Amino acid sequence: MTQVISKSDLMVWLGRLSESHTLIAPVNDAEITLFRRVSNVEDIALDFTNTTLSAKEWFFPPTETLFSVERKDGQVELVPAEKMEESVIFGVRPCDALGIALLDRPFLNEPADAIYRRHRDKTILIGLSCREAHPECFCTSMGTAPDDPSNVDVLLTEVADGYIVQAVTEKGKAILPQDLLKESDVTPPSPPSLSTVSVEGIEDAMLRNFDSIYWERLADRCLHCNLCAYVCPACYCFDVRDYNDKGKIQRVRSWESCQSPGFTTIAGGYDRRAGKGPHLRQRFSHKLLYFPREFGSAACTGCGRCVKVCPVNIDIREVIADVQNLGGKSGQ
Amino acid sequence: MAVEDFQPRMVGFLCNWCSYAGADMAGTSRMSYPPNIRIIRVPCSGRVDPLLIVKAFQQGADGVLVAGCHPGDCHYVEGNYYARRRLALFRLLLEFIGIDPRRLCVEWVSAVEGKRFSQVVTSFTEELVRLGPRSEVQVGA
Amino acid sequence: MQQIRDKAKELLTSQAVDCVIGYGRATDGVTSRPLFVYEPEQVEELIFDKTCTHNLTKYLLNRRGKKTGIVVKPCDSRAINVLLNEEEIKRDEVYIIGVVCDGVVETRWNQVGEEKQARCQYCHQHTPVVYDFLVGEPPEESPPAPEDYAAVAEIEAKSLSEREAFWTEHFDRCCRCYACRQVCPGCYCTECFVDRLDPLWVGIRIAPEENRIWHTIRAFHLAGRCAGCNECERVCPMNIPLSLLNRKLVKEVDELFGFQAGLNEEEMQPLGTFKKEEKLGIGE
Repeated sequence: MTQVISKSDLMVWLGRLSESHTLIAPVNDAEITLFRRVSNVEDIALDFTNTTLSAKEWFFPPTETLFSVERKDGQVELVPAEKMEESVIFGVRPCDALGIALLDRPFLNEPADAIYRRHRDKTILIGLSCREAHPECFCTSMGTAPDDPSNVDVLLTEVADGYIVQAVTEKGKAILPQDLLKESDVTPPSPPSLSTVSVEGIEDAMLRNFDSIYWERLADRCLHCNLCAYVCPACYCFDVRDYNDKGKIQRVRSWESCQSPGFTTIAGGYDRRAGKGPHLRQRFSHKLLYFPREFGSAACTGCGRCVKVCPVNIDIREVIADVQNLGGKSGQ
Repeated sequence: MAVEDFQPRMVGFLCNWCSYAGADMAGTSRMSYPPNIRIIRVPCSGRVDPLLIVKAFQQGADGVLVAGCHPGDCHYVEGNYYARRRLALFRLLLEFIGIDPRRLCVEWVSAVEGKRFSQVVTSFTEELVRLGPRSEVQVGA
Repeated sequence: MQQIRDKAKELLTSQAVDCVIGYGRATDGVTSRPLFVYEPEQVEELIFDKTCTHNLTKYLLNRRGKKTGIVVKPCDSRAINVLLNEEEIKRDEVYIIGVVCDGVVETRWNQVGEEKQARCQYCHQHTPVVYDFLVGEPPEESPPAPEDYAAVAEIEAKSLSEREAFWTEHFDRCCRCYACRQVCPGCYCTECFVDRLDPLWVGIRIAPEENRIWHTIRAFHLAGRCAGCNECERVCPMNIPLSLLNRKLVKEVDELFGFQAGLNEEEMQPLGTFKKEEKLGIGE
């Protein structure tokens, strides 16, 4: 027996949550979908494929003031970052949820990032299984699935007249609207099938082909913008700078990307990773070799956002397949 | 805030050879002009980068004045010709993104025109009082 | 399409160029992507159809000192003229395969539009303005139609506060990925103003006020240089109508100075020159 909630009752539940918590949900804006704070549940877009930016922006925002330093009455005062609100994020796809779990590894690795931890502790994730797959999706190759409950607190799966509600953690169980749930014997639909790519042996393949001219050729068309890193649920490079505004100093952290020109330039203008090929190779080395070595799995969730958004169609699935077929062969 | 209480904050980019000297002359001749203007000396009006102007607005300026030598009299011969084209075009872009074009005032003031300088600043200040403060700006970075 | 392949093969075999930059099929099977062909056998991968919207001229800046062939549409060829005029590339290092074009369609990942892009609907430049080899029959030139600035006029019809609200709403979404800058052939500064620390013009904070400075100044740095390829707007993941800023300046540069960027290699863009006597509404 599973528990289900009707579509209209789902809206009621979300309405209640928006009063006790800050509710964040997918919202349509200018023909894209983004996670936004929602006060009116009518604004929620239920029929979205996936958001342009992943849910990571609510744990690791594009821009964040870490703390500020002010002078008050001759004393120097350290003002911590703004208080976090108790939040609920609704509509997290399993790929995004895996992304958050992947980010947990570097951010919560001791000594943990205190601000990220606060975001994490104060946020409850309501996941939404995928009914359809899209040509860019390949999550089953990266360790998750369209109906994977592993990394959320509650998972909803759409059925004929509502949603199956599955509490995954204690945190999730605590927010279930017991009065709106009904028992049902409906079975969950089978998840859609997606494109796949074999990642077996990819770490070795990446290591073997470090010096291959393949990277130079692939990077020929790369524009070295920051798009792939910014939309990726598992990318987490950032820059930190202090700004002085009339004596009030703010330490600001913002997103960065290994692709941006000058990412590895150091004082004196020396650049260890000069060149388009090495820059682009770094992205794939990090995701498919270094991160797995350190944290146990590839830093990729198979969400396909990078594939969708790259202006020149650099497709990580193509790269994974190509690299495995290199090795031993010289040149391309 | 009541209109008569509003004190506009103005930034003035004055070229060293003509308009800055003109402002100086206004001072030495005891011609008064509103103290709302903060003067920044530049070598030539041609040095005024549009970035300076938007940055001034972002940091809280209600108006920006750019003053240079009269066309034909530029100390560096051509600088103010470039400035004329650049600022004419930039003002149109500012208007397009919602900044009142009257908030960017461009005038040619020579080194002997102390009186004219004080008149320019006075009327620009009055104009800004009429226009009111620029909308909420976030300061920082 | 076959003409492009044959010409590319000829260029590579005779070693007139080391590489031909053209279009290939993307992994979704329906749209296109830039393709760099180094070996004559590879030329069969080159395509040309209504999905070929990319402006490939940016890549010429990565291949200075090397001989390169390139496939360009008329809008792209204007960007080449801008780069030649600014002496960023050398004419004898580029072999230009110009393609007569009557428009391309909107494309996104796995999506090919039906209608021509908005910018193609008012374009009257069907033949490339510079080329070494022409593919396609140039149409009989119709008298130049006025540029269509309807979208710009829509913004001009708004009040100042409406305009500010319009742009703030769009700039709120900007995540400063700089895809617009990276794809633009006119943006090639080794250190962009936005990356400068001293003076600190913008900084790293991603917020509407900073984004406003970024987009306004980038548009202004392209005044008189923008060829109207619309790549900036195409690559933006947040659907910010960037072309409005550039087209506003294209319109004003045309009205004030009678100039359009990239029509030939010789003419200096208007902000790099001056007339002693001219009335521009400044200081009069």
